[in-house]
Amino acid sequence: MRIALSALLAFWVCASQALEINDDRARFNYQMFCSGCHAPDGAGSGDVPRMKDHVGHFLTTDAGRSYLVRVPGSATSALRDEELAEVLNWILIGMGGDSVAEDFKPYSAAEVSTLRAAPLNEVEEYRAGLLQDIAQQQTEQATTP
Amino acid sequence: MKLIDKMFERKARQLAQRSSRRSMLKGLGGFLVGASALPLLPVARDASAGPTTPLEQGDEASCDYWRYCAIDGFLCSCCGGTANSCPPGTEMSPITWIGTCRNPADGRNYVISYNDCCGKSGCGACLCQRDEGDRPHYRSDKTNDVNWCLGTTSSTYHCSSAIVVGLAFEDK
Repeated sequence: MRIALSALLAFWVCASQALEINDDRARFNYQMFCSGCHAPDGAGSGDVPRMKDHVGHFLTTDAGRSYLVRVPGSATSALRDEELAEVLNWILIGMGGDSVAEDFKPYSAAEVSTLRAAPLNEVEEYRAGLLQDIAQQQTEQATTP
Repeated sequence: MKLIDKMFERKARQLAQRSSRRSMLKGLGGFLVGASALPLLPVARDASAGPTTPLEQGDEASCDYWRYCAIDGFLCSCCGGTANSCPPGTEMSPITWIGTCRNPADGRNYVISYNDCCGKSGCGACLCQRDEGDRPHYRSDKTNDVNWCLGTTSSTYHCSSAIVVGLAFEDK
């Protein structure tokens, strides 16, 4: 029992160190730089995309993973690389619901730094194409025995 | 008196026969945990719920009211609404300008969402322009000098609310 608890604690410490999410700071940055359009719970509104229970689908392809950083709201925000990585991971964990795999790879500041150097311009069309690719990939995986 | 003594003795013996030390410890432990949690609960809930209702002072129908530190428009408080709600016949914009203001009542900074109320022509009462934290147009998410009636049925601006979203994060 004691060994199991120690292992659990060690796992939790490692996981939290890897993610390095300061919940208060991430929530504040979400409120300041994201929620004005995406709504406090990530539900979006009108033309603003919904992140709640959906955002994790983008992680299933490399282009989708890059998109979450290259989209102008992320790439050109006033957040530093580490803050952007933190708030993206916070969104994925807190709002992604079942769309996020349990073993998803969190963003690092270095990855964010590289990706945001190439922000997207024509977002809507690009996003529609991405979602089409993701849906096709999921259909293929579902039909593969 | 003897009768009472005997009764207590009998009850104590019955208790001792029916229960073990472990069950006594379990019961006592449960009681202590429960007792320690009880007085904490309202406080803990209050803390986790966030400071959506911070200490208040000032007149929300005045431009000087603390939540209006970045406002640019008519106060809904003067137009049939409040700092938190739109006047009847208008629709609150789901897309908002967000900034922070310092609350003089407790000295803390709060995140404020300036949700515009839309669907009727400009209210015309209590025009305020404080603009703290306002940024130029090239920072479109942080400029208050545009019409924020976005995502509403009508884009006609009527007045502005100022809703407390939560506490601002400050590095200690």
